[in-house]
Amino acid sequence: MIVAERKPMEEIKQMVAPYKKLLLVGCGTCVTVCWAGGEKEVGILASQLRLARQAEGKEISIIEATVERQCEKEMVSELRDKVKQVEAVLSLACGAGVQTMAGMFEETPVFPALNTTFVGMPEQEGIWTEMCGLCGDCFLDRTGGICPMVRCAKGLLNGPCGGTRRGGKCEVDPEKDCAWVLIYRRLEKQGRLDLMKKYYPPKNFRAVKRPGKIQAVKA
Amino acid sequence: METRIGIFICDCGGSIKNIDFSTIKDKIAKIPHVVMVNLASNLCLDEGKEELLSRIKSDNINRVVIAACSPEFKEHIFQQLLEKAGLNGHLLSMANIREQCAWVHEGDVTGKALELIRMAANEALLLEPLEKREFAVKEEVLVVGGGVLGINSALQLSRVGLQTILLEREVDLGGENREFEALWGTDMSSMVKAVEADENIEIITSAEIMEIEGEVGDFSVRIMKGAEEISRSFGAIVFATGHRVEDIAPGLQLKDNANVISQHGFAQMLQASTTEPGPKTVGFVLGFSDGNSRFSTLATLNNALACRQKWDSEVYIFCKNVEVDSEGVENLYRTTRERGVVFVKYGDFPKFSIEKGVVKVEAKDIFAGEEISLTCDLLVTDEILLPAEGTEALSSLLSMKMDARGFHQDENVYFYPVASNRKGIFFVGDCRGNLDPNRALADVSSAVMSAYELLSSGKVVAEVERVKVDPQKCRTCLTCIRVCPHGAIQLVRMSNGDTDGENEVAKISDPACDGCGICAAICPAKAIKFEGYSDKQILAQVEMIGAS
Amino acid sequence: MSNKIIAFCCEHSAYLAADLAGKQGLHYPENVRLIRVPCAGRVDVTHILKAFEKGAAAVLVVGCEEGACQHSTGNTRAKERVNYSQTLLQEIGMDNRRVEMVNVAPGAPHKFVRIIKEMNEKIKEVGEAK
Repeated sequence: MIVAERKPMEEIKQMVAPYKKLLLVGCGTCVTVCWAGGEKEVGILASQLRLARQAEGKEISIIEATVERQCEKEMVSELRDKVKQVEAVLSLACGAGVQTMAGMFEETPVFPALNTTFVGMPEQEGIWTEMCGLCGDCFLDRTGGICPMVRCAKGLLNGPCGGTRRGGKCEVDPEKDCAWVLIYRRLEKQGRLDLMKKYYPPKNFRAVKRPGKIQAVKA
Repeated sequence: METRIGIFICDCGGSIKNIDFSTIKDKIAKIPHVVMVNLASNLCLDEGKEELLSRIKSDNINRVVIAACSPEFKEHIFQQLLEKAGLNGHLLSMANIREQCAWVHEGDVTGKALELIRMAANEALLLEPLEKREFAVKEEVLVVGGGVLGINSALQLSRVGLQTILLEREVDLGGENREFEALWGTDMSSMVKAVEADENIEIITSAEIMEIEGEVGDFSVRIMKGAEEISRSFGAIVFATGHRVEDIAPGLQLKDNANVISQHGFAQMLQASTTEPGPKTVGFVLGFSDGNSRFSTLATLNNALACRQKWDSEVYIFCKNVEVDSEGVENLYRTTRERGVVFVKYGDFPKFSIEKGVVKVEAKDIFAGEEISLTCDLLVTDEILLPAEGTEALSSLLSMKMDARGFHQDENVYFYPVASNRKGIFFVGDCRGNLDPNRALADVSSAVMSAYELLSSGKVVAEVERVKVDPQKCRTCLTCIRVCPHGAIQLVRMSNGDTDGENEVAKISDPACDGCGICAAICPAKAIKFEGYSDKQILAQVEMIGAS
Repeated sequence: MSNKIIAFCCEHSAYLAADLAGKQGLHYPENVRLIRVPCAGRVDVTHILKAFEKGAAAVLVVGCEEGACQHSTGNTRAKERVNYSQTLLQEIGMDNRRVEMVNVAPGAPHKFVRIIKEMNEKIKEVGEAK
């Protein structure tokens, strides 16, 4: 799942400062699940903006909406009538959502209200950790299903650095687990420790072609 | 259907003096949808009730606002009246113009009362009926743990007429506290016989719980007895899974020494010995377990006394504190002193060493101010009482938290002395860290009574969909499931309206829900509606501030 | 200008304490409006912000004493949400003393009265709502 967090208020305020009529659009998929851009967050941000303008003695009118997936043109097009009523759109979606909105409604400026941070999973309610670095060349088969590229502070691909702490914690951040200790323990459970001895050449980041594009085999 | 609000204002027998009711009546009559305003003096007395009933019918009222005393006081009575008038009891909104207005402010409070009534009327517009439903419950209880408390629970449950299954992990019933029969005032072997002879009780030993699903009234439990799988449903579950004892405190360097023994070991030794002379000098050490040491205090005092009586040994108890706040322990402590047991109150922890087969204890008595050096033939040490093995696994099986010490039931003990945060699941005695026999036995009775209250009528009544997840809006983020303090939300597959596909969404169980609204507040998709306290209904009240 | 205080009150504790204040004939300023909630945990950031939008000068969330919540985590969650709304208010340049979480036992009407009075003192410092 894509994890995002809200931009600092100051930044958002500056982006929308010239406009009196705004549309706030949430996205009902990833950013709802990570508490950043769902219907509730749209409501909170709208309230904040109205209060801020109230304090400055300026007026603002805000329309709130949330679509199922902001990265789908068909779903975004539902907003056509609402976009017509406003001067700018503030999108609470990941970068893909913002760009879909911006592409659909080219005459209206669309601003991002979130910073898209990483692909991760929830640890417990309200806490998400990064799990995938979107490298385009997955090697989780060799590392017991633990990605050292994002979960090791140094992104090491061939075993731990010399700084692993007692209790398998990371040298850089003692709060975090050393990814390579986790990998070792996982492989040990599976009887595949021989994988630890194998050398893997530096990762080929050229696998990520910008902009990425995937075409599924058409049935 | 048109919304028709009827407003009934009561001056509580003239006890509300600082509100001008006629002004209020004129003003609120103009609120949209208000079709009648009634001023009464005693709405909760017979004449007032009749008036309310007849006006609801004659004016075709379908939302009722009562401005009177606190809803905490008589809301339920008015709800019953609404039901009597053929309206759903939930279609009532109350304005607390007495306790929270007229009685707490000096001078004229007509303005505030008016605002409170406007708030209630605005909320009333949005109220929706809530139906009640009976949910059948299984009149059968699972008791987990065949120790003294489990057996007691099973026997008492059987006595109140509930079918009971007694589940024990070990081969035999009896549990950890067999050696301390005297403390519990019970004879274990006759209790085991009684439980075996009881027709209402089925005993399953050498078995463990693998899975618990469902909710109050219908927990489906999968039990493994060796390779055999037993699946049964229960209306309630009582856990009496006990505790674990760490023999001798770590760091003492006395382990595996023949002259050092634990309380349990010593109790066994006392039971086993018949005539041979016992140890001449016995030392006891108390104070390893910080926090709750009631049980070890009791065990130590009992053992010390028994040891005086049986062998006439010289007995010393090294202690920091003697916790005598359990029933009868003060007397026991006094008796122990009278029988010649010597108490040494230490400040710093005593030093222990072993010389030529005897244990040497060096301590400073902080009352006498003297260094005491004592050699004893036998040193009995305090034990550390820890959560039973599997507590953590069981907690996660039940999606429950443990307390700071790792015992079951990290809960509000004032509201839930034995009940857990999940309806129909009870923890008794030492598994919830309550190690004092008298209190633990009180736990048992209390859990049995709760189970009886819950199951004896064969049904529980709950409001249908008071708190409801809108399956169309649910994003299946699992947040509500993770935060529900009552384990009342589960992931279910639901048909998605008019499409054939099946969606996985969160669903709240009506009988298990306790109506706190934590889920409704936290849901990032605003998919959960709490009728009576919905966002709109709360904001409808907020909107009215300043409107008069 | 408004000096209204919205107090979201848990029906297991604060609401009862407020009732008791009435029964005991205690007095507190008139500007407070109580909204009964089933648990402090029902109150969300959106409710708090909306209250300010509707012209409240201050918002109180009043729940059970710590460790005594009927729903085990309701009051601690409410506390976190109030802290979060304080941050949100600060972000937009409002005084975060305008919102506060307080714990009151059902049998503590004097404490309830005290917190209402204290909040009124704070409103004097931070100013009424525009």
